[in-house]
Amino acid sequence: MFPADFRYLRAESLPHALDLLADGEDVKVLAGGQSLLPMMKLRLAVPEAVVDIGGITELAGVSPDGDRVRIGALTTYRALQRDELIAARFPAMTDALAVLADQQVRARGTVGGCVAHGDPAADLPAVLLALDASVTVAARGATRTVALGDFLRGIYATDLATGEIVTEISVGAAPPPGQAYEKFEQSASHLPLAGVCAALSVSDGVITSARVAVTGVAGRVFRSFDTERALAGAPAEPASLEASAALAADGAEPLSDQHATGPFRQHLARVLARRALARALTRATGEVPPR
Amino acid sequence: MPSATDVSVELTVNGRSCRREVPARTLLVHFLREQLGLTGTHVGCDTTQCGACTVAMDGVAVKSCTVLAAQAGGHEITTIEGIGDEGKLHPVQHAFWAEHGLQCGYCTPGMVMAVRQIIADNPDPTDADVRRGLAGNICRCTGYQNIVAAALAAAAAMRES
Repeated sequence: MFPADFRYLRAESLPHALDLLADGEDVKVLAGGQSLLPMMKLRLAVPEAVVDIGGITELAGVSPDGDRVRIGALTTYRALQRDELIAARFPAMTDALAVLADQQVRARGTVGGCVAHGDPAADLPAVLLALDASVTVAARGATRTVALGDFLRGIYATDLATGEIVTEISVGAAPPPGQAYEKFEQSASHLPLAGVCAALSVSDGVITSARVAVTGVAGRVFRSFDTERALAGAPAEPASLEASAALAADGAEPLSDQHATGPFRQHLARVLARRALARALTRATGEVPPR
Repeated sequence: MPSATDVSVELTVNGRSCRREVPARTLLVHFLREQLGLTGTHVGCDTTQCGACTVAMDGVAVKSCTVLAAQAGGHEITTIEGIGDEGKLHPVQHAFWAEHGLQCGYCTPGMVMAVRQIIADNPDPTDADVRRGLAGNICRCTGYQNIVAAALAAAAAMRES
């Protein structure tokens, strides 16, 4: 099985890539290829030309920058997994990277590719949304930065326009230490039937703020505002988590397919929200909650 | 006569550099098997799931059915043919033999290349580490028990040597 014929164009730099992209009618950007190549093999994508940005090394790497941490679009999952700053400050990302795809796919798949692909059942977007990530996009002569929640539009649909390339994802440099990601995977693809990321701030036994994001359940990753509102100001104890997690899938229009029905996905979201919140709380307080 | 969709690919495979003109859509696994005759790398599912096509690219295990040959240009590839010596198996290969970590053998080249990566990343993996590490490799014969035993035995042998 192989893709339909295409012209292969290797970009030497970001400006070169943007020029190549602007020249063609039906051009796809190739980073690690772990989503695009399978789609091309199935003829779900049949581009006339492919611009390989994989060699643009300046688009890879994790770097702190004031109150943000910048993650280059070409940073692989494997590189992210081995990054000390990520390991120290973003335990939810570490959770997700450990259960995301498999070691071979993590070696090639990139953060930028994940976001640009817009798969509604990708793991990392839940973590990035809970961590208030933004996406930087370059076009010829312009760059813009968009909140991830606005960038992801729907099933394989994003805010990325023709001629644009995702160059960077950034997250706040001082995220709450109480964060965790939990998933229930479809065992063949390893994609989440549901995945939930929770990020909690706790002060004097009270949850002062909460962000909870859900992937795999609906046509796009979403924040569970009902859960967040129920948590804000609640005592940092299991009963609060239980009650708020029960709201995690409220209002969602769930996906339903051969792998799982919509109601089952919503059920998973509630269970996983409870688990993610419990682990996040443990990490926030350094204590194991009583059962 | 080269067409607009052909590319020139130059890469190093098992220490030897080679160059071929191929259609751009050529996947690395087909380049290895059909252009270079290195048929130890297998095509299993062809959908990035089974791992039979696993090779090392710049020393890191990847699925060669999901890498274009053109993307591998300028990089170093190691296949199953490149890891042992004639008459002296690589410790992971030896462990698969000693622990009977295969039945039909179709998945074995990919399994060996994946286990090499697991041990390179963690020289002392647990049973659970190996099973998680093999998430991207499917075996339809063994039930994995002896594959995991082989991986643990290989790790132990490599720690001692």
